[in-house]
Amino acid sequence: MYLYLPVALTSINILIPVGLGLAVGLLSGLFGVGGGFLMTPLLIMFGIPSTVAAATDSNQIVAASTSGTYAHWKVGNVDFKMGFHLLIGGFIGGLFGVQAIKVLKAMGNADFVIKMTYVLMLGIVGTYMFAESLNAIRKSRNRTAEAAPAQEKEGSFTRLLKSLPLQTRYEKSGVTHSMILPIGFGGFVGVLAALMGVGGGFLMVPVMVYILRMPMHVVVGTSLFQILFNCIEVTFLQAYTNHSVDFILAVLLLLGSTVGAQVGAVFGRKLKGEQLKIILAVIVLLVTVKIVFDLTLTPSLLLTQAGGH
Amino acid sequence: MKTVNREQSSMIRSGQRILTLISIFIILLIASAETASAKLTARANHDHINIDFFYHGSTVSVSGVTDPGTELIIKIASPEGHEALKEKGKVGGILWMNVGTKKFENVPNLYSIHSARKLDEMLNREEQDRYVIGYPALSRHAEIDPVTSADEKAKWFDEFLKYKERSNLYTATDGKIEMTEKDGEQAYYILTQWPYQAPPGDYIVTVYAVKDGKVVDRAESRVQVEQAGLVKTLAGMAKSNAALYGFISIVSALGAGFGVGLVFRKGGGAH
Repeated sequence: MYLYLPVALTSINILIPVGLGLAVGLLSGLFGVGGGFLMTPLLIMFGIPSTVAAATDSNQIVAASTSGTYAHWKVGNVDFKMGFHLLIGGFIGGLFGVQAIKVLKAMGNADFVIKMTYVLMLGIVGTYMFAESLNAIRKSRNRTAEAAPAQEKEGSFTRLLKSLPLQTRYEKSGVTHSMILPIGFGGFVGVLAALMGVGGGFLMVPVMVYILRMPMHVVVGTSLFQILFNCIEVTFLQAYTNHSVDFILAVLLLLGSTVGAQVGAVFGRKLKGEQLKIILAVIVLLVTVKIVFDLTLTPSLLLTQAGGH
Repeated sequence: MKTVNREQSSMIRSGQRILTLISIFIILLIASAETASAKLTARANHDHINIDFFYHGSTVSVSGVTDPGTELIIKIASPEGHEALKEKGKVGGILWMNVGTKKFENVPNLYSIHSARKLDEMLNREEQDRYVIGYPALSRHAEIDPVTSADEKAKWFDEFLKYKERSNLYTATDGKIEMTEKDGEQAYYILTQWPYQAPPGDYIVTVYAVKDGKVVDRAESRVQVEQAGLVKTLAGMAKSNAALYGFISIVSALGAGFGVGLVFRKGGGAH
């Protein structure tokens, strides 16, 4: 059955957005990512104009991440304090990111820099997570009994972090950090996310796991909480300034994604943190490879719709 | 006719001016005979297409009568406009990315040509250009910026065609017009697919009667595509009441997320 989308100005088989929503929602509930890096290109592939695809996806993520946050909150896996601090950083970073885009555009090579940053970030994060979690899985197999104590080898970097002021206890995550840390790294992710035009979940998750040393399951819940607020802001701005949110498409997507997020959250509890990390790493690497192919293979159309209206 | 004119003018002086005017009128009429004398008619069965939620494109049939001995070309197009598209190019010899914007002027958003036979066999090039009939004529009519040479223009017009044909907005067919003979008149009929990608707006159906490589007559009909009902309300609201629209979108999403969360709890999810 087909439905007409009033803002995208096109007609779509409703099974496509519902199915896409289900799949991406599942990933969202499992890994705490928004899934924009998958959803937006897929929507464009199915004939949705690129601006509408990005804006509507953020509207849909509001629903999926509400559903996911709620599911994780029920089992105590959302660190609200950490989430707020990351949000503060992310908000400030976003403002800088938007300015950075203006500077890059003025310099005339914005597209190149943005694409390269994206590919490099995805590649580095994916490879690192993959290698690290593979290592961890091997270790835990070798000596199942005494896994934890071996990690306590403090580097100078860790000592430096501990010496920062404003040390705060994050109860849910079971870690103590300076507030500056989540705000600073939240800001860093915010700059990059704004630059690349993505939500940044795939960057925020590794930051929380490897730098903030939070347990994977709390990372997923907290990341979703943080994404929820980001996407509310983005949806409003897109609807208000670009008129590019398609309400009907968003409803079709969220029919799938809200359910997918719940299933993902339940399923995620059955997996170990290391297993979650390695699957996410593989997905990130696959997306990297796909983007590299897109960049190097001759496109079938040399003309595409312009971004803005 | 001029002889008649002369005879009458010699008889009544005062009527001369009026007759001169009449004669000018007749001469003008003869000059424009190609539109006045023949009896071409055109009618689109759907002059009004409503876009509702279940809209997935439509069909539009064009029918009418024409003089025997003429052949037809039917053009369906939106008014000419301009379009700016992102251009992909190679950076550093290997990477494809957006390298700029190409502006296309004098191009309709929708352009559909249906001819009785191959265009070049029916119509000479001057006539094709005069009425902008066919892709080659459109390519000469269009302006593309920036291009440095005719070759480059041709290349980018081809890319433009590919882009438009991919979304079903440009089509060209021949041999699909049905002709039937009755009472010394020729009736024609063609059924065309109306693409759902065509946005709301006014479209013009022009039927050209062609004889000996020239257009001898033409007739027009209109197709109006309009959003209706809730589709219209939502599209209008997204533009004219953007803040409220954004607010509703967000609240609906929040509500749906919570709602599904509650359903799953009742469904007895794990702790």
